[in-house]
Amino acid sequence: MHHNQHDIRPIQKHPLNVRVFHYILLLSFLPLAVTGLLLFFKPLSQSGMQLTYDIHIIAGVVMGLDALAFTLMAFDRVVLFIARVFSLSERDVKWFMVLGGYPQKFLLGKKVPVPPMNKYNSGQKLFGVCVLIGGTLLILSGLVIWLAPHVAPRDLVWILGQIHLVSGLILTAFLPVHLFLAVYRFDDFKAMMVHGNVPYHDAAEYTPLWVEQEIVPVTANQQRNK
Amino acid sequence: MNNKKHVFAEDSFFISRRKFMAIGSAFIAVIAIPVGWFGNKIIKRNDYIKARSAGLYKDDTIAKLRVSHANPAVEKYYKEFGGQPLGHMSHELLHTNFVDRTKLNS
Repeated sequence: MHHNQHDIRPIQKHPLNVRVFHYILLLSFLPLAVTGLLLFFKPLSQSGMQLTYDIHIIAGVVMGLDALAFTLMAFDRVVLFIARVFSLSERDVKWFMVLGGYPQKFLLGKKVPVPPMNKYNSGQKLFGVCVLIGGTLLILSGLVIWLAPHVAPRDLVWILGQIHLVSGLILTAFLPVHLFLAVYRFDDFKAMMVHGNVPYHDAAEYTPLWVEQEIVPVTANQQRNK
Repeated sequence: MNNKKHVFAEDSFFISRRKFMAIGSAFIAVIAIPVGWFGNKIIKRNDYIKARSAGLYKDDTIAKLRVSHANPAVEKYYKEFGGQPLGHMSHELLHTNFVDRTKLNS
């Protein structure tokens, strides 16, 4: 892979609509996670808890609308995301055996062979499945226990509350891992936060299958769309 | 790299149309089933109350006696015992006194 080392030709990884969706998700989920934990542990006064609740509701509505708008406006991206995160192969088992080589790199300072990955590595795919299913459960259960708690059957509302709690805690637990690895993979961080592109050498190192199977020169796409 | 336009992108048709439709419709179904389920629950939430009030109105319409002062038992009571409505005897027997007990509960 030496010839790829300094290849900085940009590959589009995150299109604009994905970046906008991710930004709104970021701005709504961070307050949701904080206020969700506050609502669970109830450390504040009556008025403080009321404010926490109001912020949780507003941020929740923003996140729900964000998800709804993205599903309607970028349905193809949603389908591609589902296809990617639910794909499972032997490579994923091998990836999890070495955890992507990250612990060895951080703790022992040595490099171990990692199976070639597609656009998302196995850990990102697991996270993607949790975000997709957990996020949907959070939005739907949140809507019911916020708007219709006395309409739905009592036991169902209780179950939805537990589902809301467990999904929220799982996704909140993913949050520090996601933030750390996002900043660690700085080329990908810039792609999601700024311009959407990763340099060729980064993509070839971390996502060789993606580059090999799905990446084409931009002119090819333009010609096909004509 | 910020100013440069990307020269590579994902092949926009790397997923087959059949697979796209299968995943898309499965996703829509998984979302639509709970939404339809809860929506239905919410729309039908007052149905049993409406059915009960409809039943009560129906009972009233087919009842032979539709007002209490036409009840023969009440007529007989006033005739033979209670005197007239709101009279002294009726007041003593039928009037109820209430005591404020709200403080006892708290």
